[in-house]
Amino acid sequence: MTNTNIKIFLRRNSMLVILGVLYLLVATTAQGFMSVNNQLNILRNIAVPGMIAFGMTFVIISGEIDLSVGSMVAVSAVMTAWIVKWASGGAFEPEWYIVALAFAFTIGFAAAIGFFNGVLRHRVGMPTFISTLAMMAILAGLANLISNGASIESFPSWYYVIGSGRLFGVPVPVYLLGIAFAITFIILNYTTLGRSIYSVGGNMEAARLSGINVWRTKAICMMFTAVFAAIGGIIYSSLINSGSPTIGRGLELEVISAVIIGGISLFGGKGSIWGAFIGVLFLGVLINAMTLWGFNPYAQQIVKGGLILAAVFVNFFIDRK
Amino acid sequence: MVELAFKGLTKHYESVKALDGFTHRFESGKIHALIGKNGSGKSTFIKLMSGAISPTSGSISIDNETVQFSGPKDAFEKGVVTVYQELSLVPELTVAENIFLGRLPKKSWSGGMIIDWPKLKKDTTNLLAEIAASDIAPESIVSSLSVGKQQIVEIVKAMSFSPKILQLDEPTSALAQTEVSQLFNLIRRLRKLGVTIIYISHRLSELQQIADTVTAIRDGIFVGSVAIEDANPDVILDMMFGDLPPLEKPRRVIDTTDPILEGKGLTLTPHFEDINFKLHKGEVLGIAGMLGSGRTELLHCLFGARKLDSGQISVKGRFIDNPTIPTMKNVGIGYTSEDRKSSGLVQILSSHANLCLAGMKQIAPSNWISTAKEAPFVAKQVSDLHIKVGNLHDPVSSLSGGNQQKIVVGNWMINHPDILLFDEPSRGVDVQAKRQIYQIIWEKAEQGLSSIVVSTELEDLVECCDRILVLHEGKLTNEFMNIGLDPKTLYAACMPNTDKTSINNNSADMKKEATQ
Repeated sequence: MTNTNIKIFLRRNSMLVILGVLYLLVATTAQGFMSVNNQLNILRNIAVPGMIAFGMTFVIISGEIDLSVGSMVAVSAVMTAWIVKWASGGAFEPEWYIVALAFAFTIGFAAAIGFFNGVLRHRVGMPTFISTLAMMAILAGLANLISNGASIESFPSWYYVIGSGRLFGVPVPVYLLGIAFAITFIILNYTTLGRSIYSVGGNMEAARLSGINVWRTKAICMMFTAVFAAIGGIIYSSLINSGSPTIGRGLELEVISAVIIGGISLFGGKGSIWGAFIGVLFLGVLINAMTLWGFNPYAQQIVKGGLILAAVFVNFFIDRK
Repeated sequence: MVELAFKGLTKHYESVKALDGFTHRFESGKIHALIGKNGSGKSTFIKLMSGAISPTSGSISIDNETVQFSGPKDAFEKGVVTVYQELSLVPELTVAENIFLGRLPKKSWSGGMIIDWPKLKKDTTNLLAEIAASDIAPESIVSSLSVGKQQIVEIVKAMSFSPKILQLDEPTSALAQTEVSQLFNLIRRLRKLGVTIIYISHRLSELQQIADTVTAIRDGIFVGSVAIEDANPDVILDMMFGDLPPLEKPRRVIDTTDPILEGKGLTLTPHFEDINFKLHKGEVLGIAGMLGSGRTELLHCLFGARKLDSGQISVKGRFIDNPTIPTMKNVGIGYTSEDRKSSGLVQILSSHANLCLAGMKQIAPSNWISTAKEAPFVAKQVSDLHIKVGNLHDPVSSLSGGNQQKIVVGNWMINHPDILLFDEPSRGVDVQAKRQIYQIIWEKAEQGLSSIVVSTELEDLVECCDRILVLHEGKLTNEFMNIGLDPKTLYAACMPNTDKTSINNNSADMKKEATQ
């Protein structure tokens, strides 16, 4: 490789390089970091923020934002648990189809909310920053209202499998993350919807004048994110085997940070699913490393925030060149 | 009193000579009109004078002293103030705050911390009174004023720097007639105060009212300068256009039996009203109109991007009930935007991606798409339209204006339109690329594509179109068959003029002449 080739490679994959450096650093300083089990553990931990980040990638590339994903996770966990409890009449071991019904309803609800945000954007011209900020409060309130502020324990005994089970030694959520990656990757790169998402976010007016349905594209993006958040809520509810209204609190920050670290432009029109994955993995490795290093959890938050700033700074700098 | 002189002033952008050896002397205390077509070098001249760019060679001297501007600040210090066409006011601030933006008066005891509002108001009132613009209140929010008043505020702001030389770049382009006369009074008052004014305008009819001398540049070269008494319209047009070399346009017989596109009583207040026209298969129809004549709005309505207030659009004999972009696209209409940056292209995406926006359904009827699937469509347009592009996957913003314009056109060609609406296809495009774009329009016309071309550059329309309609203040006022049509005739028909009857008679005569 010539000098310029190296430069181009570094520019295109700066986050990958930074991630590699972080891996090296942690591998040499934290005991047990490189063990297969720990690596799988990291992947399991990033499964939920990861799949939501893929949806958020759609939303941000299309030029919008969704601040309500954290609350959506909470309300989905609670709603699933509540429906199971209600439909089974509080039975000790609810039937599988009742659980399936709860999933269907919860995911449908999330899709409807995403669609509604799209409609608000289209009909009223309300920025999604505002509408989803409001939705964040509404959904958090709804989660508390349904659960009366406490966990709902209603799941059948096999329910833990979704969040904590393993298949061929790999945690189930990791498979779900893989599926979400595949779906969003294919949509963004191999469908006309994907092409529309980029053009709508890059220049809404140019896209409109090319006959692209701007608002439908944006609404679909909002729906994707909401649905992934709902699935995330279900996974979390399985992990702790109950529907708790505090699940997912603040998750929107982690997800949006990961997406930005992954090089997806907040101005829209630019980014990739692969980038989002790198961003999520970066945060996951960092949190894991700080835990292994025995960092004070409060200090961890500060380090996390500082690194987000640094990563965005680096990206901004590269972008301008 | 300041005399302004130029000696061999030259600005090159790589191989393009934007301004070439400009040598002239502007007498002090007069209003000097500077005219020229788009791309003639007027804006380069303004930028050189305002210090925004520095010359490749040559010199500027003010009062026999050679000056060198390394930035706008230098020009400012030498007393050169420029008012650009795009207003640079902060819309949500008051008139007073805008005029003294960045240098608001402070209370002396506060150490420059606290704004002296009463003094600000007093200073502003004085300034406004000085130029007899007391009808503007210092405390008005700028966005609540009419564009004309905003223009005056901008000039008052320029005046507050007590300039010796004031450059006005198309100050009337967005003004109504009454506002124009108020502005002219203001400019005359400035002349009385001894300010040397360089006045740039497209509206040739204004020159008689306001200018003392008329100076023309063409293709970057100084053409000549005459006193206003000697500057009758013929002289001005000759200076601007010179002898145009004819461009070979293929002669085509147009079948006028069935219009492919027809508009009846199209109205969109306040942009245009009662527009009636027909477009035939394979015809290139021009619509001539000045800025604000309603031309872009008309195209938008034909394309379904805007809703008409009333009127009927028929395509291929079929009445279109509710024109939206998808329906119009389906019946075979395409639209290329006048503004490649804000609405024509997605600047951050690649040339490849921008060629595949409108034709997505054509490329991928199943909605499954890939770069490999798009590649042949992209390659065809690149070779058909002779698009010069290094790497197709680099952002489209890296291309020249002409090549960007070709991408805008190619984007629609993938869709195989029957009718293509071109909004200012030659804006910001060099002569060679412009002619290539016309060639493309003609080639496609021979294959049956009907086009509507809208432009302010009238000689472009004469070069390109089979037939030209004149849109003046929202109404179609004239129609010319473009057979040996003289651009000057068209210019006369488009010129905003206070005396409307005379111009209509005039152009009717000339129309007869042209069709003979």
